[in-house]
Amino acid sequence: MNHENPNPNDEKLSAVLRDARSLPSLPPRFQEGVWRRIEESEAPATARSNWLDALASWALRPRFALAIAVVLVCAGSLAGVREGHQSAREQAQTRYLAAVAPNSLR
Amino acid sequence: MKRPLLILILALLAGGALFASSYFMSRRVCESCSTSSTDKLDWLRQEFHLSDADMEHVRELHNGYMPKCADMCAKIAAKKQELDEALAGATNISPAATQKLTELALLRSQCQAQMLGHFIEVSRAMPPEQGRRYLSEMERLTVGSHEETEQTMSSDAGHMHGEH
Repeated sequence: MNHENPNPNDEKLSAVLRDARSLPSLPPRFQEGVWRRIEESEAPATARSNWLDALASWALRPRFALAIAVVLVCAGSLAGVREGHQSAREQAQTRYLAAVAPNSLR
Repeated sequence: MKRPLLILILALLAGGALFASSYFMSRRVCESCSTSSTDKLDWLRQEFHLSDADMEHVRELHNGYMPKCADMCAKIAAKKQELDEALAGATNISPAATQKLTELALLRSQCQAQMLGHFIEVSRAMPPEQGRRYLSEMERLTVGSHEETEQTMSSDAGHMHGEH
């Protein structure tokens, strides 16, 4: 039901209505809790940002970048040589087998 | 996107590209160096660390075996042709086709025996330890592969029989 005041100038009625509309009371230490939650939500983002900044600054250091590049080239070359030897060995084995043992016998 | 994150992503991409390019380049160079020879016996030299004298002996045996192998292959090919003719248009296995199958199996077993004989001769031309390793490897690669197939088939058949 809609109880509109037909006479807005009726001060007495307005005062009674204001008193009747009671606001719920806030829980204890409400404000402190709100600030704590705000701080908690901001804390990880700051830590992650610091971590990324530190890594990015490491990556931009010429000595570090060069060292990583050398390690990557060496590791890639070693892995490639190893795979290449293995592959060449298998090809040589296949050539020999094809010569001495036709497929129909295997 | 934040600048540090962008820098890290670019660094990772550059690192990955560097690793991949050095990997593929060295692999290709290594393969081309190792496979430049067309000698079919290269594998024996590499794998079993044979001396020049051993290789010479093995090459003689190989050259002596090749004509016999080619002759046997020709006989098998001719027999397969005869079997194909016997089976052409047939809806069941005729006695003639069965006969051809038997003859083909006999030829194949003769050829396998000849091949194993050659492997044994070659193994004797190698230092004893390498010879044993060669013989076991060749048996695994030739006759052994049949056994693997048969074992797979028999285990499959066992499963199927279990379903009845």
